[in-house]
Amino acid sequence: MTNNKYKLLVVEDEENIRTLLSALLEANGYQVLAAGTGAMGKLLITSHRPDLVLLDLGLPDMDGLELLRTLRAEETLTPVIVLSARTDEREKVTALDLGANDYVTKPFGSAELLARVRTALRNTRHSAQEGRLPGGKFHLDDMVIDYDARRVSIRGQEVRLTQTEYNIVAFLSEHCGKVMTYSAIIRGVWGYPDAGSVKRLQVNMANIRKKLGARPGEESYIVNELGVGYRMREPSHEEK
Amino acid sequence: MGWLIRFLRTARPVRDLLVTVLILGVSFGISLAVSGAFSIHALVPTFFVLAAFLISLLTDGYVYGILSALVGTIAVNYAFTFPYFALNFTIQENLVSAVVMLTVSVITCALTTKLKRMEAQRQEAEVERMRANLLRAVSHDLRTPLTTIYGSSSAILENGDTLTGEQKTTMLRGIQEDAEWLIRMVENLLSITRIGDGQVQIIKTPTVLEELIDTVLVKFRKRYPGQEVALEMPEDFVMVPMDAILIEQVITNLLENAVEHAEGMTWLSLRVALEGNQAVFEVANDGKGIPEDRMATLFTVGGEPAVRPSDGRKSNTGIGLSVCDTIIRAHGGTISARRRPGGGTVFRFTLNLEDAGNDEQ
Repeated sequence: MTNNKYKLLVVEDEENIRTLLSALLEANGYQVLAAGTGAMGKLLITSHRPDLVLLDLGLPDMDGLELLRTLRAEETLTPVIVLSARTDEREKVTALDLGANDYVTKPFGSAELLARVRTALRNTRHSAQEGRLPGGKFHLDDMVIDYDARRVSIRGQEVRLTQTEYNIVAFLSEHCGKVMTYSAIIRGVWGYPDAGSVKRLQVNMANIRKKLGARPGEESYIVNELGVGYRMREPSHEEK
Repeated sequence: MGWLIRFLRTARPVRDLLVTVLILGVSFGISLAVSGAFSIHALVPTFFVLAAFLISLLTDGYVYGILSALVGTIAVNYAFTFPYFALNFTIQENLVSAVVMLTVSVITCALTTKLKRMEAQRQEAEVERMRANLLRAVSHDLRTPLTTIYGSSSAILENGDTLTGEQKTTMLRGIQEDAEWLIRMVENLLSITRIGDGQVQIIKTPTVLEELIDTVLVKFRKRYPGQEVALEMPEDFVMVPMDAILIEQVITNLLENAVEHAEGMTWLSLRVALEGNQAVFEVANDGKGIPEDRMATLFTVGGEPAVRPSDGRKSNTGIGLSVCDTIIRAHGGTISARRRPGGGTVFRFTLNLEDAGNDEQ
């Protein structure tokens, strides 16, 4: 039985938070390793190959971002969820652009954290390529993306998107559940960033949200991460 | 207008230099025209004195003012006083006019620099005072939730066996509620520290209005699932320069404030409109309203202690609103509250759409 459990590594220097995370994750059926320092974290990553890393950015011996950088430099695709403070959106963007899969803002509730962990684990199991298979379709609530026909429809009604708008929606759907930073979307859709591209993206996104019938305050298919980027919600499990 | 705004946004030294060159050029042109057309040279020094005065007024520090005075002196001497198109400081008249011009610009520069400095100091002192008040009020308010958290958790740890399951759940819920209150309080305090140390200016980024409102309302609905917010905002794509995290905090504070304090409220609304060069935000409710005598000190912290509710739980209004005030003022906007005819309160704040009015630090 234990062999089937996901192995998670918690790198966090605050003992109370570490204990809380370990207890919470163990209670939800994960096997948990814990490290109090970046060096210890590095060691455990190489020796135990965890399925997911929860990484606090403020570590005593090294910058959490540094650990993330070395992890990604070794081309390991282990998903990383960063624990960060509310006010540091620049730090969040840096972490995401360095290859973190997601971030959870401190202080966090247990439900939110568990949802992010599940999403990150699922994303590695079947990520982008599934949608790109011939006949691949993406279902989210009553929205369907048909990748072959490059069509988006809601309740059977086609949503008339421009080329760029479709590309953005498709790009986000391939990374659903994950925050994509403005620069990551721009790179994925236009291929090159320039001075006006964030605004161009925002204008396109405003049109997309309008066409998808999004109203402010009602969580739509695409969620705003103010100052960071956008996230397409993940289909709940039954829909897959 | 666009070019002017773009111009005002260019880097300070470049801008100052351009201002200097422009004004000097114009006064040289006018002088040439006037002395050419009417052959009156007596007026010329006045133009340059005016130019030196304007430049001192519009640029930072002494450099440009004195530079323009020197250039002006040389220009007057060279082109407009006898002997024409030659420098000659031996004639007493020329010498006197040179001295006068230098004196005027040095004095103007000194005065304007002093004024600018005094204004900066005044703003700094204001922020400092606000922060001190806030700290005092906060430390006082922190005690109540900490008492609950500390007391309940130690009771559960030490007397866990004798407490019933229901009692434990109630205590744990109390811990959670007060921890949530602390989180909100700390978020407010972080917003204040974000306004920077002693510097009033904040970093504004163009923010999509719809994204801001969406973010605020999604979070608000999670916290108060039953509470409807009537929303009215422009359909168009609007960008407003702001520190989005801070403005998010302001709107959230105003909405929460209504939920927590406006007794008998049946509707709550958020309205955003564009008026001229400003985005106007209004949060209105039809609750019991705020007593007239409280209106004057609504946005100041640490008012009369008598105003505070005795249970201490919800006494953070003063802090929430004064945080709003600090944030909006740092944005160069205004915030106000008025009683609604027929009951309730309307909170209103404004943000500039273009960043030109209040010139940047």
